[in-house]
Amino acid sequence: MTRAAEPETGPSTATSGAAGKPFAASAGERARRLAGAAFAALVGLFLLAPVLVTIASSLTTTSYVTFPPKGLTLHWYAELLNRPEFLDSFLLSIGVAAGAAVVSTALGLAAGLAIHRYPFPGKSVLDRLFSSAFAVPTIVLGIGLLQWYAQLGMASSPLTLLLAHLVLTVPYTVRLVLAGLAGLDRSAELAAAGLGAKAPRVFWHVTLPAVRGPLIAGAFFALITSFDDLTIALFVVTTDMQTLPVRIFNYLQYNYDPTVTAVGTVMVLFAAVAVVIIERVVGVAHLFGADPED
Amino acid sequence: MTAGTDTVGDKSAPTGTDTATRAGSTRGRLVLKGIHKALGGKEVVRGIDLTMEPGEFLTLLGPSGCGKSTTLNMVAGHLLPDSGVVEVDGRDITRLPANRRAMGMVFQSYALFPHMTVAENIAFGLRMRKVGAALRRRRAAEALELVGLDGMGERYPRQLSGGQRQRTALARALIVEPDLLLLDEPFSNLDAQLRVRLREEVAALQRRVGTTTILVTHDQDEALAVSDRIAVMAEGTIHQLDAPETVYLRPATDFVAQFVGEVNVLDGIAAGAAADGHRCRIGDSHLVTATPVGTAPGDGEAVRLYVRPEAVRVLAVPGKGRPASAATPDPASTSTRTAAEPGLPGTVEATRFLGTRVRCVVATAAGRVEATLPFGSAVPGLGEEVFCAWRPQHASLTARP
Repeated sequence: MTRAAEPETGPSTATSGAAGKPFAASAGERARRLAGAAFAALVGLFLLAPVLVTIASSLTTTSYVTFPPKGLTLHWYAELLNRPEFLDSFLLSIGVAAGAAVVSTALGLAAGLAIHRYPFPGKSVLDRLFSSAFAVPTIVLGIGLLQWYAQLGMASSPLTLLLAHLVLTVPYTVRLVLAGLAGLDRSAELAAAGLGAKAPRVFWHVTLPAVRGPLIAGAFFALITSFDDLTIALFVVTTDMQTLPVRIFNYLQYNYDPTVTAVGTVMVLFAAVAVVIIERVVGVAHLFGADPED
Repeated sequence: MTAGTDTVGDKSAPTGTDTATRAGSTRGRLVLKGIHKALGGKEVVRGIDLTMEPGEFLTLLGPSGCGKSTTLNMVAGHLLPDSGVVEVDGRDITRLPANRRAMGMVFQSYALFPHMTVAENIAFGLRMRKVGAALRRRRAAEALELVGLDGMGERYPRQLSGGQRQRTALARALIVEPDLLLLDEPFSNLDAQLRVRLREEVAALQRRVGTTTILVTHDQDEALAVSDRIAVMAEGTIHQLDAPETVYLRPATDFVAQFVGEVNVLDGIAAGAAADGHRCRIGDSHLVTATPVGTAPGDGEAVRLYVRPEAVRVLAVPGKGRPASAATPDPASTSTRTAAEPGLPGTVEATRFLGTRVRCVVATAAGRVEATLPFGSAVPGLGEEVFCAWRPQHASLTARP
């Protein structure tokens, strides 16, 4: 990770190495690398610190959250087992997140193909809508959805929650699929057809591989976004049906014991496992469009 | 006969040996009848009629927007004609989808499948025809050898140069032993040197495998170099369909004349048939001879002549200017006008040295005539009175538009 960040560390190189003459390069070069590595380490630390603090404080023996932890215990993890509502919330969150991943991938592919290929009325409006959906503050979206669901008489359920999250995730998957399709040479599809492939096989052998990366990235993004969402969920959930972030948020309003940091740690572990699995299966670099050959 | 699946198995038959097989090609007789096609409200193909013999190499030549690629895509099955018929070997395939035709197409962008290796790309057509993996591998290896890419099968398209990619695309198209090989501007993404080399290779390969081939290009040099026949297209119609020499030396229309190289355009009046061509009066009294394209014009009709600069000989007028011994290298031509020979008198207005040749501009009664003198010929002096002549078969004559 630090090595990958090295070439990006422009600001620090300017101070250390830029003035070096060609033949005095080796010392300057070493300083430049060192500065780069230090910069990368600092950035990494900055990003990881909150997570590390959460993990560490979940091990404290005190009955309040503190850092550095005082003593070491797994008591708060055992405590989790006495609180089935956290498990229920976790399962709800995971279920909705998985649903969001699957549905927004499918919708993203369909909508992306439609926008990329076919003229239809309202196409440009739809395209622009997908592009600008990011700009809507989630809190506004939450209020709007609350109104809508009330108007439509839709009671809170995992389905309404899923629909709410799709509003967030589908625009992303559509954009990703469109980017993938832009890189696809249309005549490759014609070539495949000319070589005897029927339409479904052209799609399977040529079109789909072009958007494979974007689809995986989109699914991953949808999963995380949905699992992570607090703002929208706050408006949509009920006391009986709470996603994990909402559960933690509500719990924290009345308690400040290390149970929440234990839950947080479990969430982090869960995310880490997910990343490792995806890395094993497809490679995270590939997921974000990097070409493994280059 | 229906090509495609049933012919895939036996590769040895049509790829035997050199030129004999090409003459012996029996497959791939293409007929286009009255093809029309509008795209985006504009009629881009306006009545194409064409018959290709098995094994023929035909080029659709024209500027962009002339309908040549659209025509090719209708042969390939990627576009449906608005009207007209596409036939291959007597079978109407107008409405047959691309995947059920047996066309091997090569695209300008190569259109390789980026996530497949070269060998997988090449074997794709066989895979779609359910040929077994072992046979696929063997045939792909053969195809790689055919296009000179031995041992490159495991690479990915992005690891290849432009020329190698185009060869891969060619192998991929040929492996299914198509009725026709369709080449859509296949060389235009290559640099000039490679373009020339690859087009020679493709022409040689085509002669070897004997597949009826259509090349679409806007490059007249390419068309002249590789084709058996050239169809010069403009605005959705074929202006002329002839052998390269004929298209070059005897263009049928203004457009063909101007598009296929440089040309002298001379207007005159038809003055009767002669043994070696058709006489034509230019200005008041100068008689020249040319070969009519199509029906010969009646006497007194307004006609137009096209003569290439290379075909124009600049002759000394006896008794004036340079001595008769200043010969052009062409042994059949004389450097001085013989009394009976028709031609156009004029005055040398400019000469330009162009390295391999000399360009000479002669002012005549019909306007400026440009001549390209071959390397080593004597160059007339400025203001010298000369005589422009050409062989009748090197000049074409049409009714004046």
